[in-house]
Amino acid sequence: MINKLRQYGLVLFLWFVSLIFLVPLYWLFVSSVKSDAEITRFPPTFWPENFHWSNFVEVWSRLNFTQTFMNSIIVSTSTTILIVIFSTMAAYALSKKRIIGRNMILLVLVGTMTVPPTALLLPLYFIITKMGMYDTLISLILPFGVTVFGIFFMKQYMDDVPDELIEAARMDGCGDVRIFLQIIVPLVKPALVTLVLIEFVNNWNSFTMPLVLLQSESKYTLPLRLGLLASENVALPWSQILAANLLTIIPVVVLFLLLQKQFIKGIMEGAVKG
Amino acid sequence: MADVNHAANKKAGLAQLQKNRRKSFWKEQTKGYLFFLPAAVILLMFVFYPIIWTFLVSFREVRPMEMRNTGLFEMPGQFVGLNQYIEIFHNPLFIKAMVNTLYFGTIYIPLTLVSAALLAVLLNQKLKGVNFFRTVIFIPYIISVVSASLIFLFLFNGDRGLINAVLLKFDLTGPNWLAHSLLAMPVIAIMSAWKKVGYFMLIYLAGLQNISHSLYESAKIDGANAFQRFWYITWPLLGRITLVVSVLLMIDTLNVFQEVYVMTGGGPGDSTTTVPFLIFNEAFVYFRMGPASAMSYVLFVVVIIITVLQKRAVDKRLG
Repeated sequence: MINKLRQYGLVLFLWFVSLIFLVPLYWLFVSSVKSDAEITRFPPTFWPENFHWSNFVEVWSRLNFTQTFMNSIIVSTSTTILIVIFSTMAAYALSKKRIIGRNMILLVLVGTMTVPPTALLLPLYFIITKMGMYDTLISLILPFGVTVFGIFFMKQYMDDVPDELIEAARMDGCGDVRIFLQIIVPLVKPALVTLVLIEFVNNWNSFTMPLVLLQSESKYTLPLRLGLLASENVALPWSQILAANLLTIIPVVVLFLLLQKQFIKGIMEGAVKG
Repeated sequence: MADVNHAANKKAGLAQLQKNRRKSFWKEQTKGYLFFLPAAVILLMFVFYPIIWTFLVSFREVRPMEMRNTGLFEMPGQFVGLNQYIEIFHNPLFIKAMVNTLYFGTIYIPLTLVSAALLAVLLNQKLKGVNFFRTVIFIPYIISVVSASLIFLFLFNGDRGLINAVLLKFDLTGPNWLAHSLLAMPVIAIMSAWKKVGYFMLIYLAGLQNISHSLYESAKIDGANAFQRFWYITWPLLGRITLVVSVLLMIDTLNVFQEVYVMTGGGPGDSTTTVPFLIFNEAFVYFRMGPASAMSYVLFVVVIIITVLQKRAVDKRLG
């Protein structure tokens, strides 16, 4: 009896906690469908008087969202593809090839993970400018085409692939490229999927780098467009700013909800091993 | 004669074998490095070179225009030794930024750590809807800092936000949160905690699920009570994770930039100016490359010190 009561109390408490986490998202949704008149009122209404879905349509055209959306998709997709390919290749070299200086390389890579991101803004801006890539989408793709996190994440999985498997393949006359593509890659597929998810979301959400490396509005990505809305004082009603925000959030949340098992498993495994 | 010949042949054969082995050794090396090459090129160009560049520029005074004519592998400006390091420590805004960062940390770190640990222990049990709760708590983590900042900017808005509307229900008049020099930073800290708790909860959960049940079973057989089981099994493991989590939280604290840029622009006054925000302003608003680089290195060194101290603490606990 007491156990059951305890259980109910616990679930009730967790519902309360969940509400705290959901309220900001609820408020985002409710506010984004209010009319211009309703959103400026105080105290605010907790449920919109009528749903102004037109906010979404309006803000979409006002902020040139089709192009911005495309930019975000191009940047996130290309960067993720590069990260997955290059990190996996590097992980293979560091996990399965006994290359000279391997431990040294691993140590240096770990060290770079402690560099504060802001400390790299200025030199990146300098290098990108000197390479003639300033204000191009490539400047957001190429320099970020490999992550140390990705290398370690893939290496941990590859370390579990038994060496005998590779030796056997070598006996059969397989070269490294075939071993990599036909043995390693299929075996680490779950890790690959997780890496794709994590890196895509990271790049989709990236703000600081576009802020520093882009200039023309036609190149803007979604977070940059949104981040500047608040600081540029564009005369846009809050309902529309939040509608734009909701449109930006929806793709990653849908992606997460569809693949959450993989997502959570990946992050937890990374946490245990790392 | 035949013997000599035989010996010579054997020697030649051995040499050939060794040569082959050496050749295949180098072949292996080359192949390994070829797989590492794309990653190495990108990392050298866009991570290692920037780290060195910043280090060198932190000792140089660079006038804004000088950047223009400098080649990719040249250093802009004049060598001034430690001048810029001395200067930034005499800069009241830099000191203020460090104090602000500390203020953020004293709210963000305990709040996130305690909530994450507590939620992990609760959600490690067999409960109805455990996955639903985990998912809900994790969702804010995948939302960008910019999006979260915009939501909280509106939630805490002085004259139309939800928070003040709820306070009004209790006959309280809420302040204009983000325009208040003492309240703006806590709002940013609360937002960051909201965003990150799910992630750290997962790290705790991963640790908790790593404790094998047999450990508890055998402790039970040895007559350990619930408290002893917690104290000797759960707690040491949680303690180890807590160390790791607290360092990650400290590093988060030192990196607060986007939320400040979007929500307050460093204000009101300088009350939410953090070190990264100051670095950004120095570099991209006032074009003072030298001080920006020096500040970057101070930040970098602090992060390294924290990381090393943490590693020591973990080793000590385990050792």
